Amino acid sequence: MAEHDAGARPERADAGEPANPGGSTRRSFLYQLALTGIGAAGIARQAAGAVGYLDVLAIDNPLASYPNRGWERVYRDLYRSDSSFVFLCAPNDTHNCLLRAFVKNGVVTRIAPSYGYHEAKDLDGGGASRRWDPRCCQKGLALARRFYGDRRCKRPLARKGFKAWADAGFPRDKRTGAVDAKFLQRGKEPWVPVSWDEAFALAARAAIDIARTYSGEAGQAKLRAQGYDPLMVEATQGAGTQVLKFRGGMPALGLTRIFAQYRMANAMALVDDRLRDTGPEKALGARGWDNYSWHTDLPPGHPMVTGQQTVDFDLCNVEHARLILVWGMNWITTKMPDAHWLTEARLKGSKVVVIAAEYSATSSKGDEVLIVRPGTTPALALGLAQQIIAEGLYDEAEVAGGTDLPLLVRTDTGQLLRAAEVFAGYRPAPLANATLVTAAGESGPAIHAQAGAVIGAAQREAWGDTVVWDRRRGGPAAVNRDQVGRHFAALGLAPQLAGTVTVTLASGERVACRSVFDATRALLDASYTPEQVAKLTWVPAAAIRSLARQIAANPERTLFVNGMGPNQFFNNDLKDRAIFLVAALTRNVGRIGGNVGSYAGNYRASFFNGLGQYVAENPFAPGLDPAKPAPVRSYWKPESVHYFNHNDQILRAGETVLTGKSHIPTPTKSIHVSNSNSLIGNAKGHYDSIVNSFPRVEFIAVNEWWWTASCEYADIVFPVDSWAELRAPDMTISATNPFLYVFPTSPLPRIHDTRGDAEVAAGICAAIGRELDDPRFADYWRFVGEGDMRPYIQRILDHSNAMRGFRVETLEREAMRGVPAIIQTRTYPKVGAWEQANEDRPWYTKTGRLEFYREEPEFMDSGENLIVHREPIDSTFYEPNTIVAAPHPLLRPKRPEDYGVDPADLGSDARQHRHVVLDVDALLATRHPLHAEGYRYVFHTPKYRHGAHTTSVDTDIVAIWFGPFGDMYREDKRMPYINEMFLDINPLDARELGVEDGDYVWIDADPHDRPFRGWQQNAERYQVARLMARARYYPGTPRGITRMWHNMYGATYGSVRGSRENANGMARAPETGYQSLFRSGSHQSCTRGYLKPTWMTDSLVVKGVFGQKITQGFVADVHCPTGAPRESIVRIERAEAGGPGGQGLWRPARLGLRPGYESAALMRFIAGGFAARTS
Amino acid sequence: MPKRKNWQIGREQDYPYEAAPPKRQVAYIFDTNKCIECQTCTIACKATWTSGKGQETTFWNNVETKPYGGYPTAWDLRLLEMSEPARWARGVLETPTVFEGLPPNQPPRGHRPEVADYGAPNLGEDDVTANVEMGMAFEGIHPMWMFYLARICNHCDHPACLAACPRKAVYKREEDGIVLVDQERCRGYQECIRACPYKKVFHNVISRVSEKCIGCYPRVEQGEVALCVEACIGKIRLHGFLSTREAPRPDNPLDYIIKIRRLALPLYPQHGTGPNVFYIPPVHVPDAFLEQLFGPEVAAAKALYREAARDRQLLGALLLFGATNKIITRFAVQGEEAVGWDDAGTELARVPFTEPHRVRNFFDERHGAYRHNTT
Repeated sequence: MAEHDAGARPERADAGEPANPGGSTRRSFLYQLALTGIGAAGIARQAAGAVGYLDVLAIDNPLASYPNRGWERVYRDLYRSDSSFVFLCAPNDTHNCLLRAFVKNGVVTRIAPSYGYHEAKDLDGGGASRRWDPRCCQKGLALARRFYGDRRCKRPLARKGFKAWADAGFPRDKRTGAVDAKFLQRGKEPWVPVSWDEAFALAARAAIDIARTYSGEAGQAKLRAQGYDPLMVEATQGAGTQVLKFRGGMPALGLTRIFAQYRMANAMALVDDRLRDTGPEKALGARGWDNYSWHTDLPPGHPMVTGQQTVDFDLCNVEHARLILVWGMNWITTKMPDAHWLTEARLKGSKVVVIAAEYSATSSKGDEVLIVRPGTTPALALGLAQQIIAEGLYDEAEVAGGTDLPLLVRTDTGQLLRAAEVFAGYRPAPLANATLVTAAGESGPAIHAQAGAVIGAAQREAWGDTVVWDRRRGGPAAVNRDQVGRHFAALGLAPQLAGTVTVTLASGERVACRSVFDATRALLDASYTPEQVAKLTWVPAAAIRSLARQIAANPERTLFVNGMGPNQFFNNDLKDRAIFLVAALTRNVGRIGGNVGSYAGNYRASFFNGLGQYVAENPFAPGLDPAKPAPVRSYWKPESVHYFNHNDQILRAGETVLTGKSHIPTPTKSIHVSNSNSLIGNAKGHYDSIVNSFPRVEFIAVNEWWWTASCEYADIVFPVDSWAELRAPDMTISATNPFLYVFPTSPLPRIHDTRGDAEVAAGICAAIGRELDDPRFADYWRFVGEGDMRPYIQRILDHSNAMRGFRVETLEREAMRGVPAIIQTRTYPKVGAWEQANEDRPWYTKTGRLEFYREEPEFMDSGENLIVHREPIDSTFYEPNTIVAAPHPLLRPKRPEDYGVDPADLGSDARQHRHVVLDVDALLATRHPLHAEGYRYVFHTPKYRHGAHTTSVDTDIVAIWFGPFGDMYREDKRMPYINEMFLDINPLDARELGVEDGDYVWIDADPHDRPFRGWQQNAERYQVARLMARARYYPGTPRGITRMWHNMYGATYGSVRGSRENANGMARAPETGYQSLFRSGSHQSCTRGYLKPTWMTDSLVVKGVFGQKITQGFVADVHCPTGAPRESIVRIERAEAGGPGGQGLWRPARLGLRPGYESAALMRFIAGGFAARTS
Repeated sequence: MPKRKNWQIGREQDYPYEAAPPKRQVAYIFDTNKCIECQTCTIACKATWTSGKGQETTFWNNVETKPYGGYPTAWDLRLLEMSEPARWARGVLETPTVFEGLPPNQPPRGHRPEVADYGAPNLGEDDVTANVEMGMAFEGIHPMWMFYLARICNHCDHPACLAACPRKAVYKREEDGIVLVDQERCRGYQECIRACPYKKVFHNVISRVSEKCIGCYPRVEQGEVALCVEACIGKIRLHGFLSTREAPRPDNPLDYIIKIRRLALPLYPQHGTGPNVFYIPPVHVPDAFLEQLFGPEVAAAKALYREAARDRQLLGALLLFGATNKIITRFAVQGEEAVGWDDAGTELARVPFTEPHRVRNFFDERHGAYRHNTT
């Protein structure tokens, strides 16, 4: 990629004037010559003196005709290509685009959309229309500059200190096993090129040494000596392989390439067998880290209401809606290829309502726009629900037959009343409605043969059946999980929703009960009227009422399109629960034009629910016949990486452990990650991880094709093929469109010494096999060694509900033409929960209904058995994480005192388990604990149009468009690159702070833990970690709210050193070429991970990731922490003036072209003063 | 100076040359209500045509946010400041174009940007016209607003670049009206850069000649739309031809939308160059601002757009945007579909008004699998 150094700066354009200084006289002379026709010989002769170097040609009238058009071949030649091929562009942006690369002289010169989507077919021959074409974006079309870019990972590299440690035989502290810090200077050390075989051997030896060190009683003792939580040490069960962590980033984006990480984790059982002689029955594999939840893409309340990971729908379904709520989602910048569905729905008459914490890009496409206070989505939704119920606008049949709202709750225990408590000798009814109850020890049918929910007999027994109060008969009636929708209607019950009833139990005891509806209504009426919600959200009460009525007026025609904005707050599960409540009350769940969807991340690996064939193939007995299914045995264990992100700790409140047993992680001593900059380089709390967590990790390997900040901090970087160089096919899907994609094999030769991700996994395993003299490691990846991934792919297809019937060869052939297939789900397009809504099937919950009441102890203790609004945990002007509600008899959270915690402790750690209830007015009288110290600005970090995370944001022709500060010439040498990140701040706030548009500012979050714990004692690291960026006067964010886009590469030791040492001042690491777009810090300087008790229960019932089985407690990417990375309240100070070199204003402000600096002409322009109609 | 008829300003105007119109005129419609400013068009163009040395800051296609954005910086504001405010009477422009009201023998009224004006190409991105306050709720015309304006060369009927060139190195192709700078003949005087009201001619400091959008003629010659149109994922663009020597044809989607329904309007028609990129104005922006940009028919066009849902013929034409990367020259609405053809009558695109919804069998007997939406 070309460098745009000022050294190459061209002369000013004005210098190109004709040499004669005659100015306008000369210009007018030339012009006159042209007009009178220099083809006329006489004039030409006269003119010869003045324009002697002009050749005289007979062009009389270039508007009419032009003689010399032969030159036009120049551009035809430039355009022509020798050949083309199709590849799949699949960053983590949920789209996936088959793109055509055009090749000239062996080099990809340009890239274009395939226009093949309209040829896509499903297995029945059903197709998609041309309205799907084209699919691409600017990041993908710029990839040619990335495939050949100078930051490609070009050859295997090892960090010098790591190699020294390995070469010295992995020396350790005798007692604790800890590694000397001199070997762990990551990010500061030179890199040593190694051969592929050396790289594999180094990784293999490191894995074996770490696993051996931490195996057995002695290994566990070492971990305890290093200070790890005893519960985490216990969780290893003495298997050293359990401290090895593997992560394929967004693995759904590469079923065999990226999921190879988890397959490798499974293979580690062979290591355990060798080290501890366990045999195949007792061996334990490694741990694999989560994705969808780690990225805070999981909407954690979806499983709490529906039992399933996420309800969503293909975005094209807005075609069928009348009312579209784009809520906390900047659709037109983050779902770009699907933006036309929204604008076309609007064109066709649907109403678009945009709810955001700013006037977002998407707001400009809104028919109605609401600007809300960040983090108040639960309150807004509860306000809508209150109004819908208060005005009687809810759908009674839907409430009675589809939700838990009619079910009775015991007012004494807060538990749902069970039929067995009421009716003597009651036995749970046999289930027949799309539910299979398996006997103990039975596992049920294979996934593709599962007709509906699969639950164990013990679960069935434990959940029991529930009770409604039948108004007609005036008594209790049992309801089981079959009885939803029409099956409930057939019972002829008239469930009483209002008031308290006294139920006589079989024991003779009489207990007061009320319906979930009644308990919810009482809470809503007391706490969340439109007037109260207006105080919380700042949205006028009238607008809340109006929106509630509009939703109620559009049953089955209102789509709730929720984005990651509200999801990245600590109250995200409450947000989901509240939004579903509104949708369920108005019959807007599971319909093609009326549904709830959450859009963040491309996570739907579950569409490949036969994936066990690959990931969990039994390493002790792999299936070596490509035509047969693989024997499956899962030895690896999923784990949430949020604990590692939390300084490798679980959550405790005093002595109480708030991380459920099923969630407990192990200590992290080795990390191998592929295809992701989110775990290290762009992680929430990045600098705290780098400074405080990573030094306890003994080995870090990264597979990448582009040198990211994650590579900067690795021990080995394995360079892998880009999407344009894949040697074997792979496949993926999308959460937002209905296509099944194959990455075709590329005809382009590898540009560098790279290999495929699966080849890296196979190479490491083979090297382990050589170290341990065990051929099983190589056998496990035999097809990879033979250069063919197709048998693995076909096995996955054959065992997946939505894929069975597809042939990999056919899919690949079509993909090579630029044509995807259409996934064989139940409907085209995909509609989440369609079966529940349209076929009256039960939800994946205990009751089979949408559940708005959570009786489990973790929820009771958190004061979240009913749906409440909690203030954000940091991004609030008020007391953080407060439960905002009036007293309610069923709200009985554990107080800080109950945990033995100081109730006055409002620190960012203690907040996580602080359950204090205040009503709206009491809340508004409080202040954030850091308010007095100047922390007064909400700082949020959403994603934007110019990057898919960090992908392509440092490609010059893409980077230059990222916001207003792009400058190819780098007029200001302080710029880290040809562009840089900026803080969007309301001009009035900026003025108050003495900050001008374009100035550099410091942005600091809670000094207790950010940018990293202990920064006060570490000036060198603080200089790298403290966030500095330009300030942009941005009128689109309200006062008190600031914004910085998530997408850019942050500062590293190397980039900061580069900005000082490089002649051109670029923040480019001298050693590696890593390019930062910050002078120091990153947007992740101000964020951190958080743990919320309701994310970590052992009791919540949810469907597993793959297939129809219902399970309980921790499920990676379904029920586990999500972190709250959007939350931060910051202090802002001016650092330097924005003018070049730190002098004065930057040019556009000086010219009067910026908000807050408008010249008279610009003011006149905005007001329309340059046109006047006389009639 | 000869007079030429300019249908966009409802009168004749001065122009240095007279000529019959081209056989047909390449033209584009951009729907600002659908533009998402993704810059995919920009990159599709840049990566193919201007990725060489000396072209670092050249973007033949760009998308800018109005009113604060502009590439090059303040390109339009500077010309507006040099011009009399546009005054219209019953669709007739009463004020002078850039070719008029000048002393004798002067090139068109214009200004030449400085080098620094080609920095900050995305200045003003997303900036709105007034401070947003928390808790605001509004409908209709937004109290603070911005919108995205995608821009390429307008391949004008009366090109100012052509008029200004002392070398007569700029010409208009008779077969399609594309305006080109002859790369062999140009000597880099940059008069075209000064004259173009849209600043869509660029100086290459390495080759020292002027370069501009070539209308992707190597593609147009093959019946294919321009790269910026092909890559437009907002599906805001329709690329085709306006009839020039015959009456507008209702089955030509560009004639129909631009000339017959007058839904899409020229950008700065008051400058008199007869631009051939036509914009559907943004419905959420006040008329007063838009009339400066798109002339006096803004309010009517916005009202028509808001009614398009009930206007099958118009809606059908609008749904053909982006449906194919070939040039549609004829269209029709057939039942619930809009169809487009080329000159030879080959069907190029057929799109449904509503993307179909299908329900598959729960149990797929052929493949022995249950088909679920929740897997």
